[in-house]
Amino acid sequence: MSTTELSLEPTPGSLPAERRRGVATGYAILGALALLSVWSAFATFVFEPYVLPPPWAVAARMWEFTTSGFVLAQFWASLWKTLLGWVLALVLGIPIGIAMGRFRYAKAFFHDLVYLAANVPLIVYAVLSLILFGISSIGPAVVVMLLVLPAVAMNVAAGVESVDRGLLAMSRSFRRPSQQVARNVIIPSVIPFLFAGGRVSFATSWKLEALTETFGGTIGVGFQLQKAFHTFSVVSLLAWMMFFVLFVILVERVILVRLERRLFAWRSPVAGSGG
Amino acid sequence: MKGSWWKWLVADHGARYTARLVALIIWQLVGTAFERIPTPTATIGFLVDEARRGELVPNLLVSLRRTGIALSIVLVLGILIGFAMGRWWRVRFLLSDLVLVGIALPAFIWALLGVMWWGFSNVAPIVVCIFSATPMLIVNTHEGARATPSALRAMSDSYRVPVRRQFRWLVLPSMMEYIVAGFRFAVLSGWGAVLLVEWFGNDQGAGYRAHYYYDSGNFNALLGWGLVMMIVIMIFDRAVMERILRRYRRWRVGSEVWSGQ
Repeated sequence: MSTTELSLEPTPGSLPAERRRGVATGYAILGALALLSVWSAFATFVFEPYVLPPPWAVAARMWEFTTSGFVLAQFWASLWKTLLGWVLALVLGIPIGIAMGRFRYAKAFFHDLVYLAANVPLIVYAVLSLILFGISSIGPAVVVMLLVLPAVAMNVAAGVESVDRGLLAMSRSFRRPSQQVARNVIIPSVIPFLFAGGRVSFATSWKLEALTETFGGTIGVGFQLQKAFHTFSVVSLLAWMMFFVLFVILVERVILVRLERRLFAWRSPVAGSGG
Repeated sequence: MKGSWWKWLVADHGARYTARLVALIIWQLVGTAFERIPTPTATIGFLVDEARRGELVPNLLVSLRRTGIALSIVLVLGILIGFAMGRWWRVRFLLSDLVLVGIALPAFIWALLGVMWWGFSNVAPIVVCIFSATPMLIVNTHEGARATPSALRAMSDSYRVPVRRQFRWLVLPSMMEYIVAGFRFAVLSGWGAVLLVEWFGNDQGAGYRAHYYYDSGNFNALLGWGLVMMIVIMIFDRAVMERILRRYRRWRVGSEVWSGQ
């Protein structure tokens, strides 16, 4: 999984921190405005509106979709399939990961399969879903499971390997029951790894889900994109594209980051986010 | 002599070969059990037929050529933009949100747009590949540019070393590992992007062939082409990227040993 982290830490020694933040926001807005104005200029002066509609037309279409509640329904239809895939991946991946962390044989056994799965282009998963399930809701969930499974297993394995041996030895000396060891020693050190893995692969799994719907679906964000494509409506396609980006950024940058901060408030800052 | 082969079987290599064998057997069994699912033998059989028909290699070469052209452009663009973002903070703040959006955008949406805009041509796959792969490389290169030792950079600045020479002798070597890592992701997503464009609308290439067989309901063929798509990326990863990465890590390892004395 890629390192898609854009750190916005300041450059050492150029401007005082609070002024720099203001300037940074200014530049970010400038960048967005530049893009929008180039887009508007091309839309107004160069291309026909059916080829490249101007930003305001796309915004109007987005408003239309939002006020009718259409967007929410479509996103929910896609989201629950993604989440179902995640649940399946966790159910299967956690035992595999624990085995990989505990036993050298299991680690070697699953090594190639995990490598294989990490190198499959998304289109192959989508094709697989078409072959196995045709046009259905199970297909996307199952391929999301296949995509996420290696990440879950790898991160659980890393978490199990990182368990403090000293604590384990101590629990054994004090004859703690294994249930208690699992709850108080093993699980707390596995969860951060699992969460880090999840944060990195959520966007990919969401993209795969939408792609699978585009290939063969009857409802959901991917299906709407496909419909826009088949009716040659660039406006609708761009509108759904914007929704898609907004959703990914909202989940990745806001919801998951907040959740992580709350879940791991008891830990030292940003530990375990290295995944 | 039970000992030696048993030892081999439970050691790492043995475990890995066992895993491959088990996966193949499961695939064969599942394929035989369900009508819809192709078996490995049928899939390989199809690929042999496709090669005999003279469709396998030419179509694959078309896709590879498109990916190659696009990725060379990605390499130049990604390194330059990433370096600029790491070097000048104004550039970084100007572009970082746009790069973020670029990463959030999936290749298949670009692919749909590209097919609508450019139709059946070489332009759509190449442009879409550039759009979807460049942000990946930018992020990694940017990180590498920021990982350049700042003391060395400050020294180069105070001795007025021109930016171009700084780039060649200071920044590029320390960025190299990041670039290679980023390029790996760029290749994976770029190859996927080209295949997607070909699937949605093209008359040549691996993605086009897969779609052709999907429309005619030939699942053996569909899986066969899927397999080819995977094999390409794995060969590239194993044979090219690993080797490059090792080569560029060599001096690092050497310097660690050296300073450790």
